[in-house]
Amino acid sequence: MHLSRRILVCLAALSQSVPLTTCAAQAAPRLPAELVWTIGYDPKTFDPAKVDDEESETVRYLTAGVLLRFNRLTQKVEPELAQSWSLSPDGKKITFLLRPGLVFSDGSSLTARDVAWSLRRVLSPATAAPVAEEFVSPAGVTVVTPNQRTVVLHLPQRVIAIGKVFDEIAIEPAGRPSEGRVTSGPFVVAEYRRSLYVHLRRNPHYAGRDAAGHSLPWAAGIRLDIVESMEQQVRLLLRGDYDLIDSIPPDYFELLRRRAPAMVRDLGPSLNTEQLWFNQSPGSPLPAWEKAWFQNRAFRVAVSQAIHRSDLARIAYLGHATPAYSFISPANALWYDRSLSAPHTDVAAAQAGLAAAGFRLQGSVLFDAAGHPVKFSILTNSGNAARQKMATLIQQDLAALGMQVTVVTLDFPALIERLMHTQDYEACLLGLENVDPEPNAMMNIWLSSSPNHQWSPSEKTPATPWEAEIDRLMNQQAASATDGERKQDIDRVQQIVADQQPFIYLVYPNALVAFSPRLQGVQPAVLTPRLTWNVDQLRMQGAQ
Amino acid sequence: MKLRRPVLWLLLGLIVAASLIVSMPGASYVHQDREAILAAASASHPAGTDALGRDRLVRVAAAFLLSLAGAVAASALTTAAAAGVGTLAAFGGRSLGWGLMVVCDVFLALPWMFLLMMVRSALPLTTSPARSAAITFLVLAALGWPASARAVYRGARQLTTSDWMLHTRAAGLRGPSVIRYVIPNLFPLLVPQFLISIPAFVMAEANLGALGLGVGEPLPSWGGMLFELNNSPMLLQTRWVCFPVILLVLVLLLLEGVAVEA
Repeated sequence: MHLSRRILVCLAALSQSVPLTTCAAQAAPRLPAELVWTIGYDPKTFDPAKVDDEESETVRYLTAGVLLRFNRLTQKVEPELAQSWSLSPDGKKITFLLRPGLVFSDGSSLTARDVAWSLRRVLSPATAAPVAEEFVSPAGVTVVTPNQRTVVLHLPQRVIAIGKVFDEIAIEPAGRPSEGRVTSGPFVVAEYRRSLYVHLRRNPHYAGRDAAGHSLPWAAGIRLDIVESMEQQVRLLLRGDYDLIDSIPPDYFELLRRRAPAMVRDLGPSLNTEQLWFNQSPGSPLPAWEKAWFQNRAFRVAVSQAIHRSDLARIAYLGHATPAYSFISPANALWYDRSLSAPHTDVAAAQAGLAAAGFRLQGSVLFDAAGHPVKFSILTNSGNAARQKMATLIQQDLAALGMQVTVVTLDFPALIERLMHTQDYEACLLGLENVDPEPNAMMNIWLSSSPNHQWSPSEKTPATPWEAEIDRLMNQQAASATDGERKQDIDRVQQIVADQQPFIYLVYPNALVAFSPRLQGVQPAVLTPRLTWNVDQLRMQGAQ
Repeated sequence: MKLRRPVLWLLLGLIVAASLIVSMPGASYVHQDREAILAAASASHPAGTDALGRDRLVRVAAAFLLSLAGAVAASALTTAAAAGVGTLAAFGGRSLGWGLMVVCDVFLALPWMFLLMMVRSALPLTTSPARSAAITFLVLAALGWPASARAVYRGARQLTTSDWMLHTRAAGLRGPSVIRYVIPNLFPLLVPQFLISIPAFVMAEANLGALGLGVGEPLPSWGGMLFELNNSPMLLQTRWVCFPVILLVLVLLLLEGVAVEA
């Protein structure tokens, strides 16, 4: 009897703890005309100049007034606080003309002095603003204000796609950095409770107007609950407590699709890639014959041809991924090469290619010309179900060529240790998350001297003529004056990569979003933030 | 004692059934039927298929046999090591006994999960799945003996004051000759230790596998199949995902039942 009472007490405690957990995510009541969604963790900073993590970036995007905004839908740079802007022909002088009558959220005027102060603060080494690196030589940049509405920047050298950089620089009141509490963007930070929520309220002085001339933003405020669990996010979205999920995994997408098909949208391929590569580093501790396989183009092409990418997309991503053949996704409208010629799935061609390169199949085992059986391991990180599934599917695909593949999952630190330091691995399957459609952002992967040139890091000189050609083209496009010339160079790099297969691209995971059918003004875009890039125009149906 | 026989018969029945399923013509735990992903139960796949289209019944049967064989082998090793260390500590003099028990305490204090992760990451990457399974159980055995050794030590110490021991000493027997008589007298302690360790090792392997650090793909393991349960949308898609858990719980109950009855 005593035991029964104890159990009852425990159950009572448990039953109380469940609603408490739910309440933790909803500590603040939902106000009328307020939008609510989640972020995964506490923002590390509210200082817009020091943003270096995704959730701080989310808060900055929602609160900051910026000179130029990169439109996530059209993928074009548009004036925001600036009425107009111009770039000199040599790319070293940028002139901004501010919109008239700009005001901060506290009612004070926003002038060229505030803009110059904000830019100088970002460029100062004392601030250590991550965005400063995008000016290449921030110390050499000078900012002048010829009058109350004009700001001129002089750069020591041309910077590719400089307009986009200003999308990340918040204009704050001169001498009064406020960590998002005084802004010129659509919202201001009103309240933050650690591990619970960030509350933003409407900026009454926001300059934005809709087509009919109404003041924006529509929403009275935003509550960002700090919730890590996707399960909880989905449940609360279904219940109507949350309004959107900006990025949702395929399995939860399918779950929502079955329950509320009007809530989900598959936007097609994202900018992200999943790829497999072989270790071609001459300094790796692999046996000489294995290095010879991996450095052999025919071997890499045969592996690429044996992989059924459509199966990877269908099975590992439940159909919410797109077979990939290039490092630039079709979602990257400006830079994707539609005429790219890449090796597609063809097992017979793969077998013929291997035979021509001296490999021979005996029974079910492939041997190289020196008689070594072809067996190697594919490394991936533990905890990523889609990658583990892809590796196991590839294991069976390559068995058709007689290759014996072992799939190894390691925790991330152990994996990075092998990739970056010991170089003790044969093949690796990982993904690359691209938030920037600008190919120049991938410079650190393609230059052979880079430590992130993953198949053979930090080469003193390019190991092969095609790597030298990629180096030349990437440097050339960075110095080109026009996007047309740059496009030709980037297309050529895409073709070299498709021919040589240093990275065997597998899939582009699709951009998956979910939002309440009551949310109006949503124009989903592949680039992040996918649903809230036009946050000033979002509102709940029926809200005043 | 009443339950011992039915439990043993049930366990034996499961072993026979699993062996038959695995050795059936056409049965493969590797083959991916890519057109039947997460399929429901059917004549060709009586327990459906997993997320890669592999027959779930064959994989569960193979995982059961592999796990049981590995756990029995690891348990035998652990018990043998515990018998050796415990007896040596009890009869090898006070300082040796104290030293060996300190070693046991140090082993018990080791963060074994991190140790296993380190061993797993230090293995050559081309280690085959079968070999990685053997190494996993070997490492579990290497880490599992100290608790048993402590129990054996205590049991053996009690024997030193028993009547038969006094008679033996009085008869002039010393050293290894005494040990020869001690080991059979420790059997009532060693057999339960052996039986108790089996479900513990089955569970340890399942935990490691659920963290993605156990037996490598495509070899089936309890842990690998429990990993699927981490995904609640999949749970809703097919209830057969729960089949391995139900069977694992049943197997653990049977193994615990055998140990308790013994």
